[in-house]
Amino acid sequence: MIKEGAQGAAAVAEEDPQAQSKKAQKKQQKEAEKAAKKAEKQAKLAGDQKTEEEDDFAKDRYGVAAMVQSQEKMDRSLVLVKDLSPARADELIWLRARVHTSRAKGKQCFLVLRQQQFNVQALVAVGDRASKQMVKFAANISKESIVDVEASVRKVDQKIESCSQQDVELHIERIFVISQAEARLPLQLEDAVRPEGEGDEEGRATVNQDTRLDNRVIDLRTTTSQAIFRLQSGVCQLFRDTLTKKGFVEIQTPKIISAASEGGANVFTVSYFKTSAYLAQSPQLYKQMCICADFDKVFCVGPVFRAEDSNTHRHLTEFVGLDIEMAFNYHYHEVIDSITDTMVQIFKGLRDNFQTEIQTVNKQFPSEPFKFLEPTLRLEYKEGLAMLREAGVEMGDEEDLSTPNEKLLGRLVKEKYDTDFYVLDKYPLAVRPFYTMPDPNNPKNSNSYDMFMRGEEILSGAQRIHDAQLLTERATYHQIDLEKIKAYIDSFRFGAPPHGGGGIGLERVCMLYLGLHNVRQTSMFPRDPKRLTP
Amino acid sequence: MYKNGEVDPSVRALEARQDEIMRKLYELKAAVEGLAKTVTTPDADMDLTVRGSLSSQSSSSFQGVAELDTLLGKDLGALRDIVINANPAQPPLTLLVLHKMLCQRYRVLSTVHVHSSVSSVPPQLLSCLGPRHPDSYARHLFQLGFTLIWKEVPKLQMKFSVQNMCPVEGEASVARFLFKLLAPYPSDAATATLVDSWVDTAFHQLAEGGAKERAAVMRTLNLTLGRGPWLAGRDVSLADVACYCCLLLAGSASPAPANVQRWLESCENLGHFGPAKVLRQ
Repeated sequence: MIKEGAQGAAAVAEEDPQAQSKKAQKKQQKEAEKAAKKAEKQAKLAGDQKTEEEDDFAKDRYGVAAMVQSQEKMDRSLVLVKDLSPARADELIWLRARVHTSRAKGKQCFLVLRQQQFNVQALVAVGDRASKQMVKFAANISKESIVDVEASVRKVDQKIESCSQQDVELHIERIFVISQAEARLPLQLEDAVRPEGEGDEEGRATVNQDTRLDNRVIDLRTTTSQAIFRLQSGVCQLFRDTLTKKGFVEIQTPKIISAASEGGANVFTVSYFKTSAYLAQSPQLYKQMCICADFDKVFCVGPVFRAEDSNTHRHLTEFVGLDIEMAFNYHYHEVIDSITDTMVQIFKGLRDNFQTEIQTVNKQFPSEPFKFLEPTLRLEYKEGLAMLREAGVEMGDEEDLSTPNEKLLGRLVKEKYDTDFYVLDKYPLAVRPFYTMPDPNNPKNSNSYDMFMRGEEILSGAQRIHDAQLLTERATYHQIDLEKIKAYIDSFRFGAPPHGGGGIGLERVCMLYLGLHNVRQTSMFPRDPKRLTP
Repeated sequence: MYKNGEVDPSVRALEARQDEIMRKLYELKAAVEGLAKTVTTPDADMDLTVRGSLSSQSSSSFQGVAELDTLLGKDLGALRDIVINANPAQPPLTLLVLHKMLCQRYRVLSTVHVHSSVSSVPPQLLSCLGPRHPDSYARHLFQLGFTLIWKEVPKLQMKFSVQNMCPVEGEASVARFLFKLLAPYPSDAATATLVDSWVDTAFHQLAEGGAKERAAVMRTLNLTLGRGPWLAGRDVSLADVACYCCLLLAGSASPAPANVQRWLESCENLGHFGPAKVLRQ
C-alpha cells in the first residue's frame, strides 16, 4: 500500500515540475526518496518473511485458530491449571488459559498462563519442536488473549515463586490463539492487585476504584476479585445450607410493590402502566405474610433497593438481601439464636473452607482474621450505653447509636470480648419502625436487635407485632396512612403466630468479614447514586 | 390518646406513674416467688431466687448491689461483666469453684463461649458453669456477669473494666480478684500474706512442680492442718480453694496424710467443689 502511494506521489511530482517552486520541489523530491527507501525496506522485509515462512518447519504448531463456531466436537480433554502438579510430570497435556504475561529472551519465550486465580509458567524455546518464528509468535501474543496450548509438564528444581503452581512448568509444543485481546488494556492486572501503599513507595501505578469499576470485566479477573466473589458465593451457599438444615423454606417475593414498606423517602418509583409502583426496600411484608400463611420459617435471597442518596463506603442503591423470618414459640430470643447460629455457621464454613481465598484477599488488603464467639455474644442496649459512657461518650437513654458511636462500641466490645460479631438487644422503641414489638417490662424499650460485624451494622431485626390492633395503634402513632398498609395489617387479622426476623446485606457481610473498606469491592456490578454502568 | 403524634404531658406523667406501679408490682411478684420457692424447697438458696431490691433488707448473708458498688466502683446501670479467657487445654478449676461460690452470693449471669481461635471444645467444658439460668434472657436482672471464653491463650486472662484496668493474667491473680468479691481479705497483714503465699505454693509447686516438690508441700500441708482446720486462719480462705484444686489437678500417687485427708473431706463437705471434680473425671 505504502509503496503504491509513494509511487503515486513521485508520479505527480514528475508530471508537473514547473508548477511548483524550487523549494517545494526539493522537499517533494526528498519525500519521494524517503518513501522509496521505506518501500524498499518493506519489500525486503516481506521477502524475508516469505523466505522465513517457507522454511518454518513448525508452522502447523502455532497460529490464530479459526473462530470457535462449534464446527467440530474435538475429543480433547483440557487440563485445569490448578491440577498441574509434579504428579503429572512428563505428561503431554492440552490446556486453555489466558496469557498473563510474556517475556521473550533470545531463543526462548516465557509465558505465564493464568486460569482464574491459578497460574503456571510456560516456556517456548527454539528446538526440534518450535521454530524461531513460533517463539516470535508466542512473544507477540497480546496480554489477556486466550490460548490453547499443548505442552509437556516438567518438574522444576527451583520453586517458581511468582506462580501458584510452583513445582512444575510447561514446555509448549503447540500454541493457538483462541481469542485475541486488544493490545492496549485499560488497566494492568498487576497494578490492580498491588497492595495499597506499596505502589507509592516503588513509584508504581495503582488503579483507583473508579477505573476498576469502569472496566469491571478486567478487574474481576484479578486474583483478589476472583477470591472475593468465590467467597461471596460461599456465603450464599452456607446461608442456604444452614437454614435449609434448620427447616427453613426458601421463598421468592415480588420486587415491584405498590406501597413503600419503610417510609416513602428512600424508595424508587417506577412507572407501571397507568400508575406508578415502587421497588421493594425489603421483602419484609412478604416474609411476614408467609409466616401468616403457615410457612413457619422462611428465608429469601434477592435484590433489595434503597433510594438513599448517600455516597458512603457502605451504601449501595441495589444490593443482595439475605432475609430471614420465623415464627417462634415464646420468646423472640429463639429468633436471635437461630440467626446468630446461622451467622456462626457461615463464619466457620468460611474459616474452614475458604482459607485460600481469604489469604489471597489478605495479600492485597491485609486485615486481622475475623473473630467470633460461639454462642454469639449478646449485649443489651443499656450495657452498650454504659460501655460508651464509661469511655466518655455522652448519650441519651433513648438516642440511636450514631455511626461513630457504633464503631467505638465495636472497638470496646472487641477489646473486652475479642469478638468481631455481636448482637445488641433491646433497642429503644422510639428509634425503631412501627411494626416493632414493644418490650413488656419497659415500654420505652423494644424487642429489637442489631447485629454488628467489625463495628458496623449488618442486620437489623425485631419481633414484629402480630396483633392487628396493636399494629394499627403503632402505625397511627407513627402517623402512617392506614389506607396504604391495609393489606399488610389485614394479614394479621386471621390468626398470626408470634414471629421475628431480620435482613442482612450480602455485600456488607463479605466486606466486613474480609475487612475491606468499600462495599463496592464486594459488589460485582455496584449500583450507587452515581453509578449505573457497567 | 395521641393528638397529631404529640403526647400530652399529663398523659405522659400518668404513664410514668403506671410504669412505676408496674415496676413495684413486678418486684413484689418476684420477691413472693422467691419466698415461695424457699418455702417449698427447704434447701433452696435464698440468694438465687430473691431479687436485688428485696434481698438487701431480708437476707443478712446476702451482700447486694451496694457492696458491689464499693468493691467494683460506681454503678453504670448495667451488668458488670467479668470476662475470663481460658485455654481449654488447662481448665481453671479454682475459678470454676469460685464461680459457684459467687453464684451463692450474687445473682450471676454465667455464660460459656468458644472463641473462633479454638476449633472444638469437649462438651463438659461447655457446661462447666452449670445449667443456664432460667432468667438468662434478661441480662439486666443480674448483678454480675461471669463470661467464660474458651480461647487459644498462652495464659489465662481476665478482662473487666477495659477502660480502667489492664487485663489480669494468670489463674492465681484472677482467683484473688474473684475471692475478694466473696470475702474481704484478712485485715491483718500476716494472715493476708499467708493466704497469698499458699496460693503461690499451690499454683507453682503443687500444680506445676515435680514429684519431690509436691511431696514437700504435702508435708507442710499436713503440718499446718494439724494446727487448725483450714490453711490460713479460722475460716475457709482462698488458700484452701487453691490448694484443693491444685491437688486435684496434680493427682496424687500415694494416699494423702491424715490431716490432709481430713481437710480434703471438710472441703468437699462445703459443696463448692463439684464443678472442679466433675472436670477432673
